[in-house]
Amino acid sequence: MNLLPKAGGWLQRRAENVIAILLGVMFVAFLVQIVFRYFFSFPVGWTSELTVATWLWLVLWGSAFVLKEKEEIRFDLLYSAVGPRARRVMGILMAGSLVVLYGMSFPATWNYVTFMKVERSSYLHIRLDWMYSIYVIFLVAVIVRYSWILWQLLRGKDPEASDSTAVSSGL
Amino acid sequence: MNPTSPFSLCVIALVALSLLGLPVGHAMIAGSILYLYMKGLDMGTAAEQLLNGMYTSYLLLAIPLFILAAEFMNSGSIMDRLLRWCNALVGRFRGGLAQVNVVQSIVFAGMSGSALADAAGSGKLMQSLMTRDGKYTPAFAAALTAVSSVLGPIIPPSIPLVLYALISDTSVGYLFLGGVMPGLLLGIVQMALIAFTARRRNFPVEPAVPLREWPRLTWEAFPALMMPVILLGCLYSGITTPTEAAATAAAYALAVSAFLYRSVSWRDVYHSLVTSARITVSIGMLIAGALVFNYVITVENIPKTVAALLQAYELSPLTYLLIVNVILLILGCFLEGTTILLVIVPVMLPTAHALGIDPVHFGVVAVVNIMIGLVTPPYGLLLFMMVKIADVPLGDLVREVMPFLGVMIGALALITLVPDLVLFLPRLLGYKG
Repeated sequence: MNLLPKAGGWLQRRAENVIAILLGVMFVAFLVQIVFRYFFSFPVGWTSELTVATWLWLVLWGSAFVLKEKEEIRFDLLYSAVGPRARRVMGILMAGSLVVLYGMSFPATWNYVTFMKVERSSYLHIRLDWMYSIYVIFLVAVIVRYSWILWQLLRGKDPEASDSTAVSSGL
Repeated sequence: MNPTSPFSLCVIALVALSLLGLPVGHAMIAGSILYLYMKGLDMGTAAEQLLNGMYTSYLLLAIPLFILAAEFMNSGSIMDRLLRWCNALVGRFRGGLAQVNVVQSIVFAGMSGSALADAAGSGKLMQSLMTRDGKYTPAFAAALTAVSSVLGPIIPPSIPLVLYALISDTSVGYLFLGGVMPGLLLGIVQMALIAFTARRRNFPVEPAVPLREWPRLTWEAFPALMMPVILLGCLYSGITTPTEAAATAAAYALAVSAFLYRSVSWRDVYHSLVTSARITVSIGMLIAGALVFNYVITVENIPKTVAALLQAYELSPLTYLLIVNVILLILGCFLEGTTILLVIVPVMLPTAHALGIDPVHFGVVAVVNIMIGLVTPPYGLLLFMMVKIADVPLGDLVREVMPFLGVMIGALALITLVPDLVLFLPRLLGYKG
């Protein structure tokens, strides 16, 4: 019966494990780099490549699968000031536009990312289409996610109230 | 400007989508995609700009690491020891605990680059200490934690200064040094205001900590107090890059919490990683969006156009800086600071450059503005956070914040008028500007 939400919750936690691991790997790679360079006078290049790769994947993966809408930095003065009806209309316009625009960019994005197979990263020799594939995953996830939000709103579900205390800003 | 030109439509879409409640990062990417489409350009450019930008800006990695360092600091018992030490230092004066709150923020600012991390770390503890036995009103205590947390990203390390270094191509090291004196100045005006009102409002005095206790308290807090020294030492001796210095800081914070204070479990480490990663994603998406949007800005040559437009008015550098201050303070009432820094400040930079304003001075002034924006209503993230932590009505909180806002804007004016306040330390260490 309640298998779907249960599976969703499980997947959500695994997605969260991934961002924790990515950040952990970034941190450890930096320590390895510092130790090798300053204690063994042996500079290693692959660590800096690994750290930027974890950064890229961390941000796009996290935005696609982990962060809730209200955690992301957004301008919600207007959104939180209006009633649920207006909020629903706003949500439909917003989600609809995003799905259309991201959808429009998909073919060209696919071409760009797959074209990058001609290049490899300098130290780890990873094909850049693999490295950059996270953007395609991100794009698909965001399109699916906002299509779902759009569908829910069109079916008459009330949109979430905003919560400015949930925003994770780094300032 | 033609309202149906691709660029106008891009900006209209960006603003409209943001107003509708779309996360700003997505709004910037979506607006830029619309621009590429209208211009008949390859829409894969959005992906290209985002991916290449993220993949090559090594400096940005300092941001997750500074966030992580602050989280490690907060997860241990470092804060308790720091507070006891601050109490020994300034608790004996009238309004002692209020002064402790500011001094703690100054010290913590030397370890963390984030104001929200400071408020999250010390907010609850400070609130219960200050309101116990009705010493201070909850609204005053919460307001003080909010305004003193503003110092966090002005005194180095600083996440917004790292972002500024990226957009302006300025040295992070000199920017960090430039933030030291303005940060201390803001702390001093806050402490002066507390001292000034302490008698009238009859603030309590904490029992004086006897001098013989000082060595023990200092010893206990010593590893935490060493953090800024290690961090800045790494940076200015040239031993490590800024990014590596951030990693060292995180490692040090973890080691101190885990080994010296024995107050960290694996669960805490995992929790710190998750919290930091979430913040990183949130700010990272904004950076990603800004990378794409900046491509549009560059193609359209906007900053140069703005600079040329302003040149006709023959502004003096000082007038320009004052205008920038006013604009940033007003925007700070409505927008999240990272957005202002990544979208608005780049447009202001070329004019500042053309007028011969020092980029380090300009950066510190901009960041002080944006930090003040964290406590200006109606939209101030520090206010929201303290409403949540302290459970006080926003109106009461804002009323208590107002006098502090006044003195901080006074200090900001001084920082704007006297560039040497910012530039003295960087020049002392070799900055040629």
